Amino acid sequence: MILTDEENRMLDGEYGPGTQKSIDLLIKLGESADAEKLVETAYAHTSYDFSPEDYWSRLTEEVKKTPHRVTTHPSFDPEEWEKWGLPLAHNWVGPHERKLKRYLELGWLRTETCAEYLIGIVPRKDDIVSMGGSCMQVTNNSLFGARVDRMGILISLAAAVCGRTPLMGLLLPENRFASHLVKIEGLDVSDWGIPHYHCLGYYIGDQIPGFKPVAVTGLPPNLLFDFARALVVSMPTSGAVTLAHIVGTTPEAPTLEAALGDKKPEHVIKVGKKEMTQTWERLNVWDNDVVEHVAFGCPHATIDEIGRVAELLAGKKIKTSLLIGASAPVEALARRQGFADIIEKAGGHFQCVCPSINNPFTRPDIAGDKRAKSAATNSARSAHYLATVSGAKVFFGTDEECVNAAITGKWKGEIPKWK
Amino acid sequence: MEIKAHTVSAGKAEGEAIVYNGPFSFLGDLDPATGKVPAPRHPLEGKSLVGKVFVITTGKGSSAGDSAAWAAKQNNNVPAAMICLESEPILSGAAIITEIPTVDRPEKNVFELIKTGDYVKVDATNGIIEVVGK
Repeated sequence: MILTDEENRMLDGEYGPGTQKSIDLLIKLGESADAEKLVETAYAHTSYDFSPEDYWSRLTEEVKKTPHRVTTHPSFDPEEWEKWGLPLAHNWVGPHERKLKRYLELGWLRTETCAEYLIGIVPRKDDIVSMGGSCMQVTNNSLFGARVDRMGILISLAAAVCGRTPLMGLLLPENRFASHLVKIEGLDVSDWGIPHYHCLGYYIGDQIPGFKPVAVTGLPPNLLFDFARALVVSMPTSGAVTLAHIVGTTPEAPTLEAALGDKKPEHVIKVGKKEMTQTWERLNVWDNDVVEHVAFGCPHATIDEIGRVAELLAGKKIKTSLLIGASAPVEALARRQGFADIIEKAGGHFQCVCPSINNPFTRPDIAGDKRAKSAATNSARSAHYLATVSGAKVFFGTDEECVNAAITGKWKGEIPKWK
Repeated sequence: MEIKAHTVSAGKAEGEAIVYNGPFSFLGDLDPATGKVPAPRHPLEGKSLVGKVFVITTGKGSSAGDSAAWAAKQNNNVPAAMICLESEPILSGAAIITEIPTVDRPEKNVFELIKTGDYVKVDATNGIIEVVGK
């Protein structure tokens, strides 16, 4: 790989061992994909709380305040978890506080969300950004036209330390055209909400081999932002799709021809009622109807999603625990709007934690013997991780079905009657 | 029998093959405490990957895959080596960070030539897979 003089100094250890190890990782990753060089990023997004402490310390050892902007994925709040009576919360306090202290020393921003575009940090089209968080990657690639490659959280830490990323994959314009085409056929989407688009995305992600860009046709133009986001974020959960062009909605897909780069697709995948029903069934992993927890905000909730939950919860009390994952600024808006008060009076909680992978109510290593063994969600991404990471029984359904489950403690969700 | 392949993560390892004709994520498809596959309705559910030569199509899933791989590695609950049709950056990064010898782009059809239970040697540094047999 061709390195600049500055990059060679990093590799020689002139900037300390953390930078040296970080750039070594980026070079090895680049070589695995035959990258020619590293490129500087517009900004970097990583996570301190998703990084194991020993590895975090290894890559940040002797790193000085960086000249480039770095932001972070959802974080933990173990002190709050202790207040909620979660028995193993204390185990998380030390690592969280030590990593956060170091994070701030580096001059990095406490955005603590997987939806930074909701708080004003949005890449421009063609900006090269390194990001941990597959939901961040697919959203910023697909909905804003930024150039973001797939990468793991620890590699994203290396990229944040160095302000660089290997020039590979989806950073290269020629790799951004869709090779796979998804046709929505025989489905009237006029009454669809967030979970329906999640379900569609989860099916598509499962059907696409590797991380090939995909184009989706057959949906109304200028799809609502929340729907477009729900569609793309569940693709890298069941699969590895990191760039999805929604024809008529996303910036690189004004037309199908533009999305495909005027080529024929390698594969065409058709989605109809049968596929949607099978996927909805697959996302529901439960044997009895008892619901102990309800999770919203995967990815972190928009103000509209919080508003809908507040409307459904007004004047009610819930039997389950309920967590809405949201960034601090969006939570602040929900508070000013009166939504937070309604949700908290009903018994719900807000936090800028990941409500799926690190849900404090379902994780056995946080909630211990108080853990919720079943959870309902409107997000396919959340359903997948609550089942696989926490081992919870999972109910997947509409906002209304999830809120109803929170109020009654029972699941009455049904598979949609597709039109 | 030797199969040439492309280096993803350097190193050499050998062991019994476990073959899955599908994508894999270290987060969700591997329990770091046991090294077994926990995913509900996963064809490999309950099978151990520890010390195995794991043959898969590619990677998938969350970018926390590499930190999950690191956690599993601390318990020595990871495959000895990996062979994939075409890797992707999260799986590649996880393999590099945990120093699991890994190759991709094999020049022959590994799903026909390697069966679960076969003994396989992987020289990822030089890009050579050797299928020893049962």
